[in-house]
Amino acid sequence: MVVETITDGGVLYGLLAVGAGLATGLAGIGAGVGEQGIGAAVVGVVAEEPGFLGKGLFLMLLPETLIIFGLAVSLILMFAWTPFA
Amino acid sequence: MPVLRLPKFGKPVKYAYITGRVRAMKTKLIPHEMYQRMLGMDIPEITRYLEETQYKEEIDLMAKDHSGAELVEYATFANLAKTYRKLLEVSIDEPQFLILEYLRRWDIWNIKTILRGKFYGASEEEIMKYLVPAGELDPEFLEGLAKKERVEEVISAFDGTDYYEALAHYDGQMLSSVENALDKLYYFRMERAVGGTLSVGGGLLLKYVRKEIDVKNLVTLFRMNKAGIEASVIQDNLIPGGKLHEELSRMAGQSYNEFVRGLEGYPFWSAISDVVGEGGGVSRIEARLRAYLVRYAWAISNYHPLSILPVLGYIVSKDTEVSNIRKIVRGKEAGLPAEVIEEQVVA
Repeated sequence: MVVETITDGGVLYGLLAVGAGLATGLAGIGAGVGEQGIGAAVVGVVAEEPGFLGKGLFLMLLPETLIIFGLAVSLILMFAWTPFA
Repeated sequence: MPVLRLPKFGKPVKYAYITGRVRAMKTKLIPHEMYQRMLGMDIPEITRYLEETQYKEEIDLMAKDHSGAELVEYATFANLAKTYRKLLEVSIDEPQFLILEYLRRWDIWNIKTILRGKFYGASEEEIMKYLVPAGELDPEFLEGLAKKERVEEVISAFDGTDYYEALAHYDGQMLSSVENALDKLYYFRMERAVGGTLSVGGGLLLKYVRKEIDVKNLVTLFRMNKAGIEASVIQDNLIPGGKLHEELSRMAGQSYNEFVRGLEGYPFWSAISDVVGEGGGVSRIEARLRAYLVRYAWAISNYHPLSILPVLGYIVSKDTEVSNIRKIVRGKEAGLPAEVIEEQVVA
């Protein structure tokens, strides 16, 4: 019974879900690492030049694009890529 | 045994806030072209211009008690101390430690100022106006020192500290040996404190400081070689720790022309080559070397943008700005021609 489930692709679907989770999760961690420096620097500049807030927020958002790539990969894995169809 | 220095992950991020902040503060410094315009202004005009800059608060505060060059001088000193203290307050951890180590030079400055004041019988109020409490010694302690009657009393207040050994050089007649010993102590302590940390940031600070020592020694050599002083006396006055210490020591006591020829090919040569003629003043060479040092600080900070170097670049630039303003107003007050003042201004 168990062997049949595996051959049906149950574990592989599980691995796909783990991969999708990792794609978004690791991208999130990467963006966080990138943002910690940018965020600290932006706060430092804004403390002296409050007018820099808009530009600073824009710079802070740049690493967020990484998460979009990760999320896109996750969505493809979960919904668009169907290796067992 | 050589020690491997490895950068630690996440370390540069500690510098992100303070470097972001000093880069924003750098934009508020007086642009170089403004010094040219200030040379054409009289002192009240310069004061009015400074009121439109970061010095406004101090000028407004001191305008009721002082005027003219004095007002500008005291206000710029007060602003300098406030700015440096702010750098210490807004930084933490390694950046704060390194900034404080560098700013201890103002402790040395304050001790020298108090000693000179006491030596020449200046009043407590006069001495206090020239102090820049930006280092470790707080204003209350310095005020206590300024209140003392004699040089010996000031020296004994440091009994048990590192400073005492240097201050013990005082022979009751001349302060120059004490001042020289204090300068050496500052760089020795920095090497001991920062070199012992084995941090990447500390290594970068020492890289700049070694260059600074070389430039100071170079100025000493220009002064003393030109005056024809004996080699051993000059060597005593050179500060150890510079990258070129051995080479510069060998140049002590040379004739001026031989000394200048020996400098050709060094990185700083292009900055001074057109002003080293025998007829020119050393202060002009000193101004050029100072400008070279400021450029060097910012140039190396481009290679290490998240490090102590941009902060150092700012500290040096701010110090230079205050010194330039003082030179201009004091020069104006003394009635010096604009060309003479311009030679002293670091740009």
